[in-house]
Amino acid sequence: MIRALYTAASGMNAQQTNVDNIANNLANASTAGYKARRTQFQDLLYQNMHQPGTAASQQTTVPTGLQLGLGTRAASNEMILTEGSFTETDNPLDLAIQGNGFFQIRLASTGQLAYTRDGEFQMDKNGNVVTANGDTLEPQITVPAGAQSITVASDGTVSYALAGQTAAQKAGQIQLAGFQNPAGLNSLGNNLYQPTDASGDPTVANPGGQEGLGTLLQGYSEQSNVSIVEEFINMIVAQRAYEANSKVVKAADDMYQQVNNLRQ
Amino acid sequence: MDPIAIAAVSGLRSRMQSLDLLANNIANTGTSGYKRDQEFYSLFSSEQAAGADGGEGATLPVVERQWTDFSQGTLQVTGNPQDVALDGKGFFMVNGPNGPLYTRNGSLQILPSGELAVAGKYPLQNQSGGPILVTSGKPIQISTDGTVQQDGNTLGQIKVVNLPGTDSLQKVSDACFQDQDPNNSPVNATGVEVQQGKIEQSNVPVAGAAMRLVEVMRQFEMLQKAIGISGDMDTKAIQEVARVG
Repeated sequence: MIRALYTAASGMNAQQTNVDNIANNLANASTAGYKARRTQFQDLLYQNMHQPGTAASQQTTVPTGLQLGLGTRAASNEMILTEGSFTETDNPLDLAIQGNGFFQIRLASTGQLAYTRDGEFQMDKNGNVVTANGDTLEPQITVPAGAQSITVASDGTVSYALAGQTAAQKAGQIQLAGFQNPAGLNSLGNNLYQPTDASGDPTVANPGGQEGLGTLLQGYSEQSNVSIVEEFINMIVAQRAYEANSKVVKAADDMYQQVNNLRQ
Repeated sequence: MDPIAIAAVSGLRSRMQSLDLLANNIANTGTSGYKRDQEFYSLFSSEQAAGADGGEGATLPVVERQWTDFSQGTLQVTGNPQDVALDGKGFFMVNGPNGPLYTRNGSLQILPSGELAVAGKYPLQNQSGGPILVTSGKPIQISTDGTVQQDGNTLGQIKVVNLPGTDSLQKVSDACFQDQDPNNSPVNATGVEVQQGKIEQSNVPVAGAAMRLVEVMRQFEMLQKAIGISGDMDTKAIQEVARVG
């Protein structure tokens, strides 16, 4: 009896985590480079009431036994790594990756590298290409003051032209990083990811190379891959599942009450 | 104790186990690849429950075993290349801590070693029983026969099997099953398609489960009333039948 109560409570807890996750996906529906996460559920351990294979009578054995499950849990929420849609912005420092690569960002606070799919870059006062938080792109790209047009080729080569000059100058080449298991990356917030043991170490390569990290597209930014319709449907399902579990709590409680009323 | 109360109490106890199974089904409506359990009510004849006249013994309901409904759940389109669902009868064969496990949960992860795995720990088997190793971060393509390709290279074919008997399958959490019968050896499944970008939802019918919940609750209530009546009858028998004068 109490088992049913706790089983239903585990279901309610798991659905609550699910709704938390859906809320975060919806809140980030317009965050550039955001990857939606999906909650994964797993069933818990089983309690063997009747062990299969034990003797049912002198000649026969119990073929299947009775196993009572103890509920569910939200085991993980994995990143869905499909590409978001690209929108044209005409901003020369908006870059979208057509492929599986990540931009490398040097964090000013710790000096460590982090990775992002958000390609909406800006320029700081020294002419460095930086993220919205001011962390520099790695390898560092510096464009001198007075540069007229900045061009980023699909292979990551950044070039600019100075006023009055016809020949373009090369400022550097943007490199991308790839992971064996990008779903295992750790989200740091601010659209940044950090590698973990699960994701593996990054392989760094030029865009458009053999490694298949993808090519760069200038003047476009990658939207989040959150599908609003899908999230709303997930929300309805989660809410109804939560409701169903709460009904089990009510039923278990009612039945428990009946037991207590057996002796009046 | 009188037979009415004994029968009713055994009914109460088995309804509680029904509720336990039902609660687990409802809690797992969101677990992909979960297969619902249903109880088997069997009859238990006891000498204690036999009538006082030595006639036909009463039979008591008892839940001794459950059966698992292996029917296919709805295939939900997720668009995630690491989700695969089986369309048709069959199981993925994975390496568990104590021998092979069978599952229909096709939410695949890549282990740090590069192996494709389910539930974040059990490596998927290829046709010869070995792992399927992913070599880079490039997207994987899985064809309907289970062949996994990455960047034009074939990494292996996912092993999809059927078991002659499903009665000996025992649940071991993470939507995986373990075979308890060593003679029940798996055979390669035929007529089953591996669908990439889809995932199989749990096969618990929520509306049916809610109905069953009401049913169990009301039966429990009736049995409780029966015990009450039996108690009243006992009271009357003691207080009134035996009264002299």
